[in-house]
Amino acid sequence: MTMTADAIIFDRLTKYYGRRRALDEFSVAIPEGSVTAILGPNGAGKSTLMRMIAGMTVPDKGTLTVFGRRPGWELNRMIAYLPDRARWYGGHTVAEALEWGERLLPGFNRERARQLANDFRLDPDMEVEGMSKGQEARLMLALCLARDVPLLVLDEPFSGIDLISREQIVLSLIDTFGERKQTVLISTHEIAETESLFDYAVFIRDGQAVLCGEAEELRTKRGSLRDVYRQLFADEGGRRHE
Amino acid sequence: MNEFRFGPIRFVLDYSQPLYEQVLEQFRHSIAKGEIALGEKMPSVRELAQALKINPNTVLRAYQELERDALTETRRGQGTFITRDANRVAEVRRKLAERAAAEFLHKMKSLGLTKEEILRLLQERGEDDHDG
Repeated sequence: MTMTADAIIFDRLTKYYGRRRALDEFSVAIPEGSVTAILGPNGAGKSTLMRMIAGMTVPDKGTLTVFGRRPGWELNRMIAYLPDRARWYGGHTVAEALEWGERLLPGFNRERARQLANDFRLDPDMEVEGMSKGQEARLMLALCLARDVPLLVLDEPFSGIDLISREQIVLSLIDTFGERKQTVLISTHEIAETESLFDYAVFIRDGQAVLCGEAEELRTKRGSLRDVYRQLFADEGGRRHE
Repeated sequence: MNEFRFGPIRFVLDYSQPLYEQVLEQFRHSIAKGEIALGEKMPSVRELAQALKINPNTVLRAYQELERDALTETRRGQGTFITRDANRVAEVRRKLAERAAAEFLHKMKSLGLTKEEILRLLQERGEDDHDG
């Protein structure tokens, strides 16, 4: 695979929440144009990393550059970010949420958004406030995937979503990857269902990158990404796994 | 399991091996064996990526390699097709056979068999196959 430049460079990032250390001198470079998996047990620091890209969390130490820029509102125009927790605006229907996206989100493709909403079985007239967790997650994801921007950051896009919808999302992701030259970062616990999508993988534990590399190379040397995950984190036992 | 049928071929991917090589080898063998007819249209990148649930880049890479081997050709606006050149297919079949023979010989030698023993073994097996 010819992946030349780095899209994101995490350089010795450290972050404390009170006395808990979320990131510990975290350093990794994410290849441009790759679909990269961020894998690790709960509390490893995955969401903190993603929030930092979106400028919502600031590191205590270290630097982060995305396409050569520092996080901030200018960079955010280039990023579609799916947060780990939903935030909503009252009184919207699905259709109104899509219109809101079109007005406010750079690179938003209305046709693509409607297609995605339809594929994700979201009724345009449904009130956002009354939606289930799964419907909410699918709507958020549709708003992200409808954006033609250089970087897509998805924090746990499959969490709380049923099997059939997960399969539909995988198909929509494949279409998205085929149509655009986007760099994509995805954190997930659904490794078995998604590992065939990734070009690159970063394994995180205790706020540090313990292993990273091209997915195909990892397969040659160590087996499937799921095998690698087991090899690395088996000792975590039930301590922090779901 | 991620499975895809293309004519008589059934793709099944093993995630503990490189996916690109599996897609490539599967096509190469099927074309060499004549399971896919000369001139036949290949599935589109999107179609195969969706069916196997893999990154379209992985399919594209395998398709590019097949095209470099001149086993396929892309016609603008129409898609990718298996070559109509039977000689090209025969060449690839010969290469695959040579590789299989090299692997076989390597295994036999690692078991400590001499060239004569290997030949005798092949002859005996050949007769068995003929009888069966």
